[in-house]
Amino acid sequence: MKISSKWITTILLTFLSIALVFVLNPDGQLRILANLLTFAGIYALAAIGLNVHFGLTGLLNFGHASFMGVGAYVTLLLIPHAAGREGEINENGLPFLAALAIGIVAAALFGLLLGLPAMRLRGDYLAIVTIAAAEIFRLLIRDLESITGGVYGIINFSDALQKYRPVFFDEAVARLDLAPAQIWVGLLSWLTVFIVLLLLKRLSASPWGRALRAVREDEDAVRALGKNAVWLKLQSFMLGAGIAGIAGVFLAFNYGSVQTTIFVPLLTFYVWAIMILGGVGSLTGPIFGSIIFWAIISETDKIASLIFENADGQQLAGVRFMLVGLLIMMLMIFRPSGLLGKKEELLLNVK
Amino acid sequence: MSNKLLEVKNLKKTFGGLKAVDIENLSFNKNELTSVIGPNGAGKTTFFDLVSRFQQQDIGEIYFKDKKITKSQPYKVSRLGLIRTFQLTKVFDRMTVLENLMFSGSSIKNDSFFQSIISTSSSKKYEKGLKDKAFEIMKDLNIEKMSESYARELSGGQKKLLELGRSLMKNPELLMLDEPLAGVNPKLAEDLLEKIKNLSDQGITILMVEHNIEAVMKISERVVVLAEGQVIAEGSPQDVRNNNKVIEAYLGTADE
Ligand SMILES: Nc1ncnc2c1ncn2[C@@H]1O[C@H](COP(=O)(O)OP(=O)(O)OP(=O)(O)O)[C@@H](O)[C@H]1O
Ligand SMILES: [Mg+2]
Repeated sequence: MKISSKWITTILLTFLSIALVFVLNPDGQLRILANLLTFAGIYALAAIGLNVHFGLTGLLNFGHASFMGVGAYVTLLLIPHAAGREGEINENGLPFLAALAIGIVAAALFGLLLGLPAMRLRGDYLAIVTIAAAEIFRLLIRDLESITGGVYGIINFSDALQKYRPVFFDEAVARLDLAPAQIWVGLLSWLTVFIVLLLLKRLSASPWGRALRAVREDEDAVRALGKNAVWLKLQSFMLGAGIAGIAGVFLAFNYGSVQTTIFVPLLTFYVWAIMILGGVGSLTGPIFGSIIFWAIISETDKIASLIFENADGQQLAGVRFMLVGLLIMMLMIFRPSGLLGKKEELLLNVK
Repeated sequence: MSNKLLEVKNLKKTFGGLKAVDIENLSFNKNELTSVIGPNGAGKTTFFDLVSRFQQQDIGEIYFKDKKITKSQPYKVSRLGLIRTFQLTKVFDRMTVLENLMFSGSSIKNDSFFQSIISTSSSKKYEKGLKDKAFEIMKDLNIEKMSESYARELSGGQKKLLELGRSLMKNPELLMLDEPLAGVNPKLAEDLLEKIKNLSDQGITILMVEHNIEAVMKISERVVVLAEGQVIAEGSPQDVRNNNKVIEAYLGTADE
């Protein structure tokens, strides 16, 4: 296989961003790396889902966080957990995989619910509907305290996943002086990333994927050729939402608890940034986009300390925004199609 | 069984105060090659849009193969065998010419999600069949050299050809072409005209909007003239050419 320059640049930048972590941190480098790679895996998964929507089908989804949230909440509420102010314990529950399957379906159905009215209208309506629905979802979760734990959220659910950790795995991780629970979540996230990518690689090269790309290019022509464009868009929307749902579940397990504050618009914004960084429409783009993004995010405080003497939380958040903004600006200047995007596919054709 | 493939009754469409289409009764027979002509803004494209269901009429009825399609959706009438092209070509820009054609020909079953995941040997065979058919059509239209190019790289005329080819992948019963010769060079236009005539001879009913009067007169069996949304004349090319109203409204009095 011919290795193109964009791959060389991408891999180089990925290594550079990881090297940055080692340079800026005298100790605990491995721990920081493990932490950032776990987040990177989870966000890569979310960005892969978004790429099904936007990259493959041209659907403008600005409510990605809500699909992640639906997947997370439905799954967590179905496994043993504790919720709410009193930490009411619910010991009975489904096995993790069964709950996850239902969580994925729930996220997909949430996509269907939003898509049904919006897909018949022009593309920008979907954008508006998804923004609004994501906020409504978050406020509902917050106010339905008796079910969702409200602002207190859900805790003590980790065991449902962590109990499957093999002993040899714990021993190996302990030898590296790392936290087995997080590495376990990270490992499973990356495993899921690869499984989902294999599935999508097959799908996007298939007649179904071809039909979605046709929808992305020109819906009227799709209709004139006897294809149900609305249904095709809905399928794509459900698939991407389901993938986001898995990402939401892993995100919750990585935090060990879940509150509505996780699924804010900022989450959606980060996932968009990662997808654009990796390259819209590129299958593997989100992997590298996510690693580079998180390497830079995780070094925010180090970089901030170059600017402020003793940066407080607010200043750090500001610097984080600046860094993300800077990253996207540089990208638009030097590589508008993202790290691994195709130049021919640059034209942002929005449905 | 009537010989009418397409029929519209009392079909009206207005934009604001403007009457874009106002047709009392118009029908098109099976196997006939009909051209619709008329000045710019006469309502030809709007008529196409109404029949193919891309626009909703104010009032009126439309029948295709004796089925009422008045409230149908575009993809449904397309599945019945009514395939139209667009005046402003609509090709799938960031897909190859081959993909444009294969997508068009692909069946609903072949396009389905689950079929695509399991990808059986029969679906591979089906894809191979599509590919062969696509190459046949590309050869016929002289665009097979472009098979792997992105459609957006084609010239305007080539895009017209691609759109025609894409329609042919569907084995249409009624083919509605909105200015198929626009932007096509004279030599190619002649070939294309020949091609359209052949399709008609093969039994495809064709309805064509075209400004190239010479071409229209040469191949049409029947000509319908629209002006300000109304049918002002219809008949054989000869009749229409000699019709005073048509000369006044469209052909001009000059001895061109
Ligand atoms: N979407 C629309 N909104 C408002 N007016 C429209 C719309 N579409 C068409 N019209 C008007 O309806 C009339 C008929 O337009 P149409 O496109 O059908 O003409 P046409 O016969 O195809 O002309 P041409 O030969 O230039 O393609 C025109 O006056 C046009 O301005
Ligand atoms: Mg027109």
